[in-house]
Order: sequence, then C-alpha cells, then structure tokens
Amino acid sequence: MQESKRVQVALIGNPNSGKTSIFNQLTGLQQKVGNFPGVTVDKKSGTLTLPNQSSVELVDFPGAYSLYPTSKDERLVVQTFVNPADPNFPDLVCYVADVTRLEKHLLLFTQVKDLGIPVILILNMTDVATQEGLQIDTGRLSRKFSVPVISVSGRTGEGLTALKQAILDVSEESRRPLADNLFYRLSQEEARLVTETQELLPHLSPYQRILVAHHWETLSGLSDQQREQLGELTSQIGFQDLPLQVRETMLRYDTFTPLVQQSIQQTRERGNSLTEWLDTILTNRLWGPIIFFGLMVLIFQAIFAWASYPMDLIDGGFANLSTWLQQTLPPGWLTDLITDGLLAGLGGILVFIPQIAILFLLISLLEEIGYMARAAFMFDRVMQTFGLNGRSIVALISGGACAIPAIMSTRTISSWKERLITIMVTPFISCSARIPVYTVLIGFVVPNKSLGIFNVQGLAFMGLYVLGILAALVAALAMKWILRTNEFSFLMLELPEYRMPVLRNILLTVWEKVKTFTLEAGRIILIISIVLWVLASFGPGNRMEAARLTALETAKEEQLDPEATSSLVASRQIEASFAGHLGRLIEPAIAPLGFDWKMGIALITSFAAREVFVGTMATIYSIGSDGDELTVRERLAQERNPLTGKPRYDMATALSLLLFYVFAMQCMSTLAVVKRETKSWKWPLIQFIMMTGLAYLASLGVYQWLA
Amino acid sequence: MVALRNSDKKLAHMHIGGQGEVSHFTNERMASKLIAIGVLPGTRIQVIRKAPFGGGCYVKADNLLLALRRDEACCIILR
Repeated sequence: MQESKRVQVALIGNPNSGKTSIFNQLTGLQQKVGNFPGVTVDKKSGTLTLPNQSSVELVDFPGAYSLYPTSKDERLVVQTFVNPADPNFPDLVCYVADVTRLEKHLLLFTQVKDLGIPVILILNMTDVATQEGLQIDTGRLSRKFSVPVISVSGRTGEGLTALKQAILDVSEESRRPLADNLFYRLSQEEARLVTETQELLPHLSPYQRILVAHHWETLSGLSDQQREQLGELTSQIGFQDLPLQVRETMLRYDTFTPLVQQSIQQTRERGNSLTEWLDTILTNRLWGPIIFFGLMVLIFQAIFAWASYPMDLIDGGFANLSTWLQQTLPPGWLTDLITDGLLAGLGGILVFIPQIAILFLLISLLEEIGYMARAAFMFDRVMQTFGLNGRSIVALISGGACAIPAIMSTRTISSWKERLITIMVTPFISCSARIPVYTVLIGFVVPNKSLGIFNVQGLAFMGLYVLGILAALVAALAMKWILRTNEFSFLMLELPEYRMPVLRNILLTVWEKVKTFTLEAGRIILIISIVLWVLASFGPGNRMEAARLTALETAKEEQLDPEATSSLVASRQIEASFAGHLGRLIEPAIAPLGFDWKMGIALITSFAAREVFVGTMATIYSIGSDGDELTVRERLAQERNPLTGKPRYDMATALSLLLFYVFAMQCMSTLAVVKRETKSWKWPLIQFIMMTGLAYLASLGVYQWLA
Repeated sequence: MVALRNSDKKLAHMHIGGQGEVSHFTNERMASKLIAIGVLPGTRIQVIRKAPFGGGCYVKADNLLLALRRDEACCIILR
C-alpha cells in the first residue's frame, strides 16, 4: 500500500492581508469547504498544481494577528501549528503580508518562523505598493529573515508562477529549518520551561513548547498527564501568561521593525486621501447610518423583489415537470413519491438559490470594497447592547426577506457567542414566506378600513413585523445573559482601505455559498420533505382507500363535476392520512390556542415552509390545490364551528394563529442551515423549542384572553 | 506601569483631530491584542472621528485605520 501523504501547504496571514485573493487565484474552482476537526470553523482547501505537475493541498487558514488568539478562528491556527499529529499540520507555510503595511504585518510571521516549520514570505499588493511609490528590497528581506520572499499581487495574479516554483523548491528540501535561533531573547522563565519540557513534549520545537505552556488549558491533543504536569510546571516556574506574551511581542517588534525599515523605501509622500475622504461621508454620524440603511433597503429589495423572477421560474418549472411526469409515468405511489416528494423537495431547495446568490453577490461586493467593516464600526455599540455584533445588523435586515441566506451571512462575525446569538434570533424577523399566511388571516382580525391616511390592515401588518423584531431583540438579550463564554469580546477592527472589488472573489463566494447550501442543507430538506410527503399521502391500514371510495360516492350523489370530485377526494384523503391523524392527535394540545385538528394538519405540513399553510388549507377545504390567498380566505370565512354555529375563524382564533406564525420555527430549511452553520443538532433543536414555545405561549395567552 | 502624569491623556478623551504618541496601556489583556494589531508604545495615533450612536472611535495609528470601542480607547494612554 502506498502511504505517501500529499504535501500540505498552509496559507496564513493577518486579516486584510489579501490572503483569500491569493487563495482564489491559486485554486479557483478547485477549492472545497470542509471541516477542521472538532471546531465550527470552516476549512477551505484546494488542490494546487506545481510546475513539475505534482500537486499539493493548500489550506486557507482563518486570518490571525498572532499565535495568542482572541477568537475561535484565531485559536485554530495555534492549535494546529503546535500539534504535529494534527491532520492539517502543514509541511510548509505560505505567509501573506500586505507589503504596504509590512511593519504591522510581520508579527505572526516571526512567530510562525520560530515554530520550525518552513515558511515562504509572500509580499502581497505589490501593484498598490508601486502606485504608492514603495520600493522593496526583497533580496535583503530574504537574507535577513532567511526565508524565500516572493512579491505577488492577488488582484492581478502577478508573481504567482514564481510563488509556485518557490513552493516546489521548499517542499523538495528535506532539511527542516533550525528552530533554535529565535526572533527574541527568551526570559528566564521561558528558558527554564524550554529545558524542562524537553521530555514531556518530545516532538515539539522550543517555541512550540512555549506556546503549549501558554495555551495548555485550551489545546486539544494533549494527554491528561501532560496537562497536569504543564499546570504544575508553569506555576512552579512562575510562568505568567499575559506579561510574558506582551514582553515577547514587544521584543519581536524590536527585532523586525529595523529590518523592515532598512528594506523598504518610500520614494514619495503617500496619502490614503481617497479612503479618508470617503469615510468623512460614509462613517459620518448622520449620513453614515442613512447611507447604510439606504444600501440595506437596496439589498432587501433585491432579495425580496428581484429574486422573485427566477424563483417563479423555478417554481413554475418544477410544477410543469411534475405535471408532465404525472401524465407520462404510470399512476401509483412511486410516481407520487417522485412528483410530490422528491420533486417538491428539490424545488424547495432550488427555490432559495436566487435569494442566496443575490444576497451574497451584494454582501461580498460590500465586503470586498471594504464597506462592511465600516458598518460593523457604526453599529457596534447598539448591537453590543443586545449581545450582538456590528455585523449582525446585516443578517437581521436580510432576515426580513429570508432567514436562510441571512444566517449564512453570519460567517464574518468572529466572536462565536455573538455569531451564535445572531443565528438563533434572525428567524424571528418576519420573512417573505410569512406574508401569504398574514394575508389570509389578517382580514379576520382587523377590518379593511382606513384610519386617516393609513389602512388599518397595513398597520396591523406592520405590527406583526414589529413583534418579530422585538422578539429577536428580547431573545438576543436573554441569550446574552444565559450563554457563558471565556472569549473576551473585542472590536479593535482594522478598517481596510477602499479598493476596487475583484469580481473573481465575489463570484467564488457566491458559488461556494450556493454549493454548500444545496449539498449540505439541501440533503436535510430533501429528507424532511419526503417524510412530510409520506405523512400526507399514506394513512394507517386502508383508511386512505376507504376515504377515497366514500368521497367518490358522495361526489356521485351530489353530482359533482370531475374537478370538484378530485378536490373532495384530496380533502377526505388528507383527513385520513397520517398527517390527519397527527392533527387529531395534537388537537388537545392546540385546542387551548383556539386551533382545531384541521389547522393542526396545516401546522404540520407548513413545517416544510410557512407558505405551504395556504396550500394545505386549500386542500383540506377542498378548494383544489391551486387556490390562492383570496379564495382560501373566502372559504375560511364561511367555515362554522359545528358546536356553536359561529364563524370558525373569529378574531380570537385568527389572531392566535397569526401570532403563532410570527414566532414559531415553521421552516425546515432554516433548521437545516442552522445545523450546517453550528455543526450540531443542539442549536437548531434549542431554537425550535425556544421559538415554537414562545409561539405557543403567545397564542395561548391571546386566545384565552379574547375568547 | 508608570503613574499617570498631568500631561498623560486617555485616547478616549481626545477630541476629533487630537493626536499623540502611545505611552502605555492600562489593561494587559487589551494591550496584548492592541500590540498584536500594531498599536504599540511609540505609535502615533490620531482620533479621526467618533462613531454614530456614541461609543467607539475611528483612529489612525501610523498608517493603520482602526475602529475601537470606548473601553478599548480608554486603556490607551497617550503622551
């Protein structure tokens, strides 16, 4: 058996070093998203073909400032780099630095170099450097740091051939670099620690051992015995985490700052006047937020309105395909499974793609330009009050169109707690799928009258949206207090200079988001929609068949036309199905909310997506499955309570049902995406209980109060 | 750490446009992160503007543009 592991190359660098641009240039569509073991951070990797046609695996690590991490993403870097047994431990590190900020970008480089892993220093943004009149002596840098130094531009692709050659050269060298000559002078404590851990951590370099001594409490890959001994040793030596860390960092700057200054020449005065000029408007106390909300309205409009054209096409296409298959294939349960289960599920997945693609097209455009960091800065304080991040506001607003792309957009929030809270509360914001339900029911609650210039129903509509927003904020506050974290919260955000966006980066982001949604969340959506199909199409024993026969008999007696007959059959059959039985089963639980078992069926089936409520109601009341909101509302208005003879949909019931749909987690696709983003079933489950629980209590309260 | 002198100022108390040189930090945890980003003793720092809705500020540290929360700006002492 051949056991030759592919050479692993890690791409690392500070945030805003343009690392991702280089990654995209090198791997293009060859990249894939996977998992780092044991953490919720996505691993982007890709195959890179070298000049001699051999291939290496390139892994894009999250941006980090140092090996003393302050977020989960940053922690991943140190965690991997001090553990040679880790499957992602690199054979070679490509370190990306923004050459226009070199004196700020080399701290992590010197740390990685000291680990004893071979490093290539990549000076990125050389195109900008030339414009700004910077002259860099790469030969001198290379000699002083004793590593290969390659100048590239992630935007234009300049220098990438040289980079590939350098990767090949370094990976063919069998000699490991010496790791004894560090960039800083060890303190007494550190020197002692290095000597005394030689046997305890046998395969690690001296600096790796120092890092382990700093981080042993959080590192995976240590045995209990090692932990215990490290704990004893560090307290015995008096090895203090923070002071030593600060001392080390300062000494590193002292070493590399003069080297950088000797190697770089500023040939003319440099000014970032464009960025500063734009920011006087874009982050202005008054205009900043106004422009931001203007942009958000545009994004909202795009996912809300523009996406509806391709979405209608997808919907219509699947409906046609389904009809065609029904006519072509022999009738039977297999055909039904294909049309009503499989195709419905597939359509339900694909229909989200326009929204996801449009949202990420616009968001990554703003991110790429450098605007998103400004938005995070402007709203940080407000969002902090609710335990959220400045960037959460984008997710909350786009949640008004659809929670799915909104939740996927939280990836840029680096604090795990803030990201999690954003994910958990975003589905409270009323999304577009709730509109059909609101439209059907609102007429039962408030009359279609005018109040001054306002339409009362319009006001009620707005009220429902406000309720959703309030629920999101209150839930966020509650989670802020409940969730414990040992992460220290920082803003300290670098505001990158405004730059022209690179189309390749934007399109790759869109492609990646669409792909992960379709493949990972899509799988779950498909399974649930097949389960829902089984529930609605099959019944215990031969009840379904019996229901069909009685319905046909009734239709014959009443001399119904074929269309009305098939509507009646569908209605009786769904009553006899498992879903119908489930509806009856949960009736005692939902009766206090004013719901009967028919509404119970709709609650169950609309778990597929909220708007399915309308279709199910149409089927149950045998309007025919193509009944729109208006016909369904008319039919519901005629429905009488068999006991009292009063309208079934009185104000209390309708309001209770409305509130239920405002709060309840009635969307399998959202749950699937939350599972994908949090990498566990725990959070979608908690979210389901929290939202549906709140919905139940709200409906119970309002119905009992009004009825 | 050096005791506060009269000429020492907290960055958070600076007006827009005010500038100075970082002297030291009053919080070690914040300091470790600030230093990693590139704000060290000796760095020239200028307040460019304050955030809407109160709180944070937008500063220029050497050639780096940074957004800081109020408590982060509070721990930076200028001279």
